[in-house]
Amino acid sequence: MSFKYPVVMPKMSMTMETGELIIFHVAVGDHVKSGDVLFEVMTDKIDMEVEAPADGVIEALVANPGDVVEIGKPVLIMLTETEVMAFDFGTDGEPVAAVEVVAAPAPVVAAAPVVVAPIILNETVKAVPKARVEAANRGIDLRTVRATGPDRTISMEDVNGAQLDPAIAKRQAANKALIAKGIEMTRSIAQASFTRSVNANFDHATFIAAWAKVLRNRPDLAAHEHVGVALIIESKYGSALPVFRDPDQLTIADLVALVASTTQAAKNGKVPVAMLSGATTTVFDLTTYSMSSATPLLFPNQVTSVTIGYESATTKIVSLTIDLNFCDFYDGALLLDALVASL
Amino acid sequence: MGHPLSSPEHARHALLYMWRIRKFEEAVEDLFGRGMMHGTMHLSIGQEASPTGMCMAMTLQDQITSTHRGHGHCIAKGADLTRMIAELLGKKIGYCGGRGGSMHIADVETGNLGANGVVGGGIPIAAGAALASKMMKRGTVAVSFFGDGAMNEGAFHEAANLAAIWQLPMILFCENNKYGMSSSTEKAFAIDNLADRGKGYGIPAVNVDGNDVVAVYEVAQAAVDRAKAGDGPTLIIAETYRWKGHSRSDKNLYRTKEEIEEWRTKDPIPKFIARVVEEGILTQEQCDVIQNEAIEAIKAAVNEAVKAESAEPSGLLDAVFKAVSA
Amino acid sequence: MLTMAEAVREAMSIAFDERPEVFLLGEDVGIYGGAFGVSGDMYHRYGAERVLDTPIAELGIVGAAVGAALSGMRPIVEIQFSDFTAQAMDQIANQAAKIHFMLGGALHVPMVLRTPQGSGTGAAAQHSQNLEPWFASVPGLKVVVPSNPADAKGLLLSAIDDPNPVIFLEHKLLYKIPGRDPVPEGATRIPLGVSKVVREGKDLTIVATGIMVNKSWEVAEKLAAEGISITLIDPRTISPLDMGPVFESVEKTGRLMVVQEGPAQAGFINEVIAQMAGSSSFGSLIAPIKRLAGMNIPIPYAPQLEKAAVPQIDDIEAAAREIVKNWR
Repeated sequence: MSFKYPVVMPKMSMTMETGELIIFHVAVGDHVKSGDVLFEVMTDKIDMEVEAPADGVIEALVANPGDVVEIGKPVLIMLTETEVMAFDFGTDGEPVAAVEVVAAPAPVVAAAPVVVAPIILNETVKAVPKARVEAANRGIDLRTVRATGPDRTISMEDVNGAQLDPAIAKRQAANKALIAKGIEMTRSIAQASFTRSVNANFDHATFIAAWAKVLRNRPDLAAHEHVGVALIIESKYGSALPVFRDPDQLTIADLVALVASTTQAAKNGKVPVAMLSGATTTVFDLTTYSMSSATPLLFPNQVTSVTIGYESATTKIVSLTIDLNFCDFYDGALLLDALVASL
Repeated sequence: MGHPLSSPEHARHALLYMWRIRKFEEAVEDLFGRGMMHGTMHLSIGQEASPTGMCMAMTLQDQITSTHRGHGHCIAKGADLTRMIAELLGKKIGYCGGRGGSMHIADVETGNLGANGVVGGGIPIAAGAALASKMMKRGTVAVSFFGDGAMNEGAFHEAANLAAIWQLPMILFCENNKYGMSSSTEKAFAIDNLADRGKGYGIPAVNVDGNDVVAVYEVAQAAVDRAKAGDGPTLIIAETYRWKGHSRSDKNLYRTKEEIEEWRTKDPIPKFIARVVEEGILTQEQCDVIQNEAIEAIKAAVNEAVKAESAEPSGLLDAVFKAVSA
Repeated sequence: MLTMAEAVREAMSIAFDERPEVFLLGEDVGIYGGAFGVSGDMYHRYGAERVLDTPIAELGIVGAAVGAALSGMRPIVEIQFSDFTAQAMDQIANQAAKIHFMLGGALHVPMVLRTPQGSGTGAAAQHSQNLEPWFASVPGLKVVVPSNPADAKGLLLSAIDDPNPVIFLEHKLLYKIPGRDPVPEGATRIPLGVSKVVREGKDLTIVATGIMVNKSWEVAEKLAAEGISITLIDPRTISPLDMGPVFESVEKTGRLMVVQEGPAQAGFINEVIAQMAGSSSFGSLIAPIKRLAGMNIPIPYAPQLEKAAVPQIDDIEAAAREIVKNWR
């Protein structure tokens, strides 16, 4: 009984995956004895000889010198009378059953809420683990706690002794930004102002709507759920501060009408009661006084205020003031940019 | 078992087991060459007569420790071929559940205390097994298989001395295949006759042609008889040769083609076949049948093992310690 | 009150009486009675068949113990100084520790390796090491460090019962002294893998092994009088390590100090710190974790140098005071 035996590229080291066929030592028709060298291969810079597993005759050479052959793939075929111990799982003979790849269902990714990436500044805090846990639970910003422990590390004692205004603590709990370095601050109020020149082609309604939209897009800087834009309207009765709630959600036509009617009412000393509360930001139009700007003013429960000032016949100055306890300095710049861009 | 020439049954056993070892190793060589086995393999092709002859002088209860080149010892002692291949293929039904590999196969039922990946590691362990046998008066013998390379390990020295001073029922069986990896015995020993080492410990030592299964059996049986009579250990130096490199990445740079060729002519299997046919114990046809039987047994084992379930990582943490019973 | 040596001898004798397959082998354990007098008169009571004197051949002795354990015996092998386990490391770490796993559970190694460790006797660098991390880092070995005679007896009985290889590290300085607590009569086992809360406090948790447990106890006694109360935990088995009581305690005290004799670098007690640092109890810490350990040097010979090389009671006291004072 004659057996046709393919001599394959053998795995000759733990990590070998392919070998380069260097040279045949036999030709088709040659008789070989068990142990005779059939061909040489190179792997990992080592030259190895592949021997005949049994006596036989070379029938065919199925690779060429210089070929890189995968381990287990045939290099030559020989005929032999000896049954060589050869196990051909998946090359010739029984095909290996194709493994069914069941595509995993695409994972459902919930639409990520739009979060504006905070700008990270360099302040780091050292605190013992429990102090961190405690501070987080109580809404204490560790950056505001003085470290008396060794290695300038905040201890539990430091956290427990920290005095905090509840109102500020509450606001700070929502705060992500840092107080910037190098900003000239007034003694007790942490505020910053930004100023831009714009083309003077907008009315109050447009301005209010634009500003409300900008604030709407930064919910992280909001201390309230709604946007309420208070517009200072001067009259002989004094300053009126009607609040336009969510003005960006009205049609521009409705808003224009509302602003007009409210302005009229204010000048008559009659502002609807419902419009007297809910301000989250205030707009001062100084152009009626031909002023370009004024000392910024922030109402206590508001984080931003805007003034519109006179610059020239065609341009106005828009100035934004922000509460640095609540907004990052750069947030102010971004807010103003967004507002100006949308006018 | 008994003397290989004492009956056709015994001759059959000797020949069958040598063929089983030979064909098993060839199958492993093939499977490894196809990339189906992980790691590396240490083949004992050409050395079949030594374990076969030694194990024919042993009972099932007698114990062995083996080496990194231990497939032959395992098979000669009666291991299950499917479970051996399954272990090499990393299957659950493998002797070690896929956790040990070629160098750590043990078979409690056939008295096999395990192959060993550390050269000389099994020698003191066999001494301990012999100690236990003596302390518990079991009447069994422990055989430590090791190579010429192990004779220079401290473990050999310490175990041989313990065996000698305590007169342990132990056989130190050295398969001297002339090379410890690449260092030849000529370079690794300052003495020519390794058996001379026995004198240093007070252990009787004997040289034997490791490729003559009959000769091996005869010295083995004598050593077993000594041990079981309470006369202590014997050192057997069996001269043999491995055809293949130390492991699959061995380029055979340290020996010559001529040497390998010469030893192939001393193949223990045709040597034994010639003898049993000449002495009329078995016919050539019977010998051919036995060869086929071995081939079929290996093929069946491989085919069964390949289909078996692969070992899984779950349960690894629990496998380190044996559970403490309440 | 029994000393540690006597307690160990008592445990071995109980085990010998309970099971015929238990035997002792080692250098000078027979007629000599053991280098530290631990085996004592066992040779006379049990004979040379069960108390085997061996030549100086640690690798061979431990290997023989492994082989005997594989064949149905329960050997106790005594290595004269833990430093010499280095000679036997193949049989300890490559064979005994791994056989059960490598062989897929077919065989197991019920063997106890007892050996004296530690410094303070002027035996110098090669006879004074604390090698807890060598053994604790090898999966497959159980490692026990008794700190007192009562624990030693109960733990050794459990170790002999255990079907796995157990390394039992006795401290040389503890051999000849009784403990605070009397050794109980009888054959009561103390389970392996269970830490002991030696005393409870609310200001600081100290985890210590071996001889450091006793030093820490002295410190706790002294500071208690000053109103500083310390929880002292002795793991007893360092591998597998029972961290439960440590986590529980740190959640109450918020301060953790770990004390070991061996050199700080890669010492075993670092495992306690590592587990704490990654645990859900981490947030309870009100102070950094304090580690007291041996200097990263071989043990020197002269007594004042030898003392300086490992934590002493004064060091432990000073560290405890500092951590409680500075971290509130």
